[in-house]
Amino acid sequence: MPETSMFRKVINQIAKAYGHKPGKMLVHTGVIGWVLSSLAQISAIVFNDKIPKEQKMFLIPQEMADAGINIISFYLITQGFKNVANKLVKTGRWLPKSVKDFLVYKGAADKLGKGSFDVYRSNLLTPSGLKRYNSFKNGIDVIGTTIGSVISCNLVTPVARNEIASDSQKKGIARMNKTNQKPDLKINNKYYAYFKRPTMQNFYSGNMKV
Amino acid sequence: MCGLGISNFTSKITTSITRVIPSWASTSKRANRAISWIGKHVSSPQNRLILGATALMSQPFIDLHNRKVDEETRKVSAARTVAKIIAGTTTGFLIRYGCIKAIDYCCMLPSQITKLTKFPRLRTLFTPDSAISGVLKDLGHYKQSLGTIISLAVMVFTNFAIDAPLTKFLTNKFVDKCKNKPVNKVQNQNSNTNQSNDKKRKEVNYNA
Repeated sequence: MPETSMFRKVINQIAKAYGHKPGKMLVHTGVIGWVLSSLAQISAIVFNDKIPKEQKMFLIPQEMADAGINIISFYLITQGFKNVANKLVKTGRWLPKSVKDFLVYKGAADKLGKGSFDVYRSNLLTPSGLKRYNSFKNGIDVIGTTIGSVISCNLVTPVARNEIASDSQKKGIARMNKTNQKPDLKINNKYYAYFKRPTMQNFYSGNMKV
Repeated sequence: MCGLGISNFTSKITTSITRVIPSWASTSKRANRAISWIGKHVSSPQNRLILGATALMSQPFIDLHNRKVDEETRKVSAARTVAKIIAGTTTGFLIRYGCIKAIDYCCMLPSQITKLTKFPRLRTLFTPDSAISGVLKDLGHYKQSLGTIISLAVMVFTNFAIDAPLTKFLTNKFVDKCKNKPVNKVQNQNSNTNQSNDKKRKEVNYNA
């Protein structure tokens, strides 16, 4: 059945992409999650009658900036933290002591922590050592991703989005004030000239035209 | 070309940062166990919960100290942020957790299925071929990934059906509370000053 094979393909692809990389999955799903959440939140602001127009002018760009900056900072900061954490473990700069001691015993003391060294590819570890190494690597990966996402989502994004949103609000309010100002009757408007005639002053009061 | 340049640039930055960080060997067994536990058990629902808790500790204060906007906007913004965090974290955590549990139920290895297992076809519905062939030995990360991806699909609907209305409801509640607070204070202050003025007047009359 073509549907079943398509379904199996998707499942196998997910297993291949994220089966050994929990941090990568957190970054990807986090980005999609922020976009979806922001779309819903923008609709919530738009349809909230209790929020005045002036504040909506701040809150809508705030939410849009929130999603945009979240994605950018998620990729820059969270991915950066994740990459650094991975590299630290991959090159053997950060390791459990038992694994490090074993690698030193195997003669890899000079290579440990060097940019080109890869603990996994060196094939020096026994299966039990590799298991210990992998669980340590996954833990550091998740810790790095979580710290990165806390910094990017809860510190960098709110400060940056507020800056963008407040600027946008100022522009919006200025635009609104411009449109709200009742246009004066123009000098070259023929009705203006007509009603400004001294003879018309007594006959024109308010909405009444005589 | 450009993508290659960016990836080279980021890899160079990563390498130079890792060079600065001192090498470390985790000696404590407890620390090693904790790191392994985090790697195995902390996934997207827990990540969402951590993000929500830290967001509550930082974002409202950042909004309240935004001096580029008037006080009213600051209050509404902070109220909306708190409401959004509460609604988003609650639904996000529950949906992710529920989806991962559901995937866990439907992700058994064929070797684990016995005659007593109910719904055997359903229990292996999401089991990948790599796990059946023995390439993928630990299904934990795969289950969490698939559960999170499915939860994102569920959240396309729940974001609009639950998250947004709940945020709106909570925002209005918090804004009402924020608006009522200073009024009450002013009223109390007014009543206090009125009372003290009355007292003063009485004292003046008495002295006269």
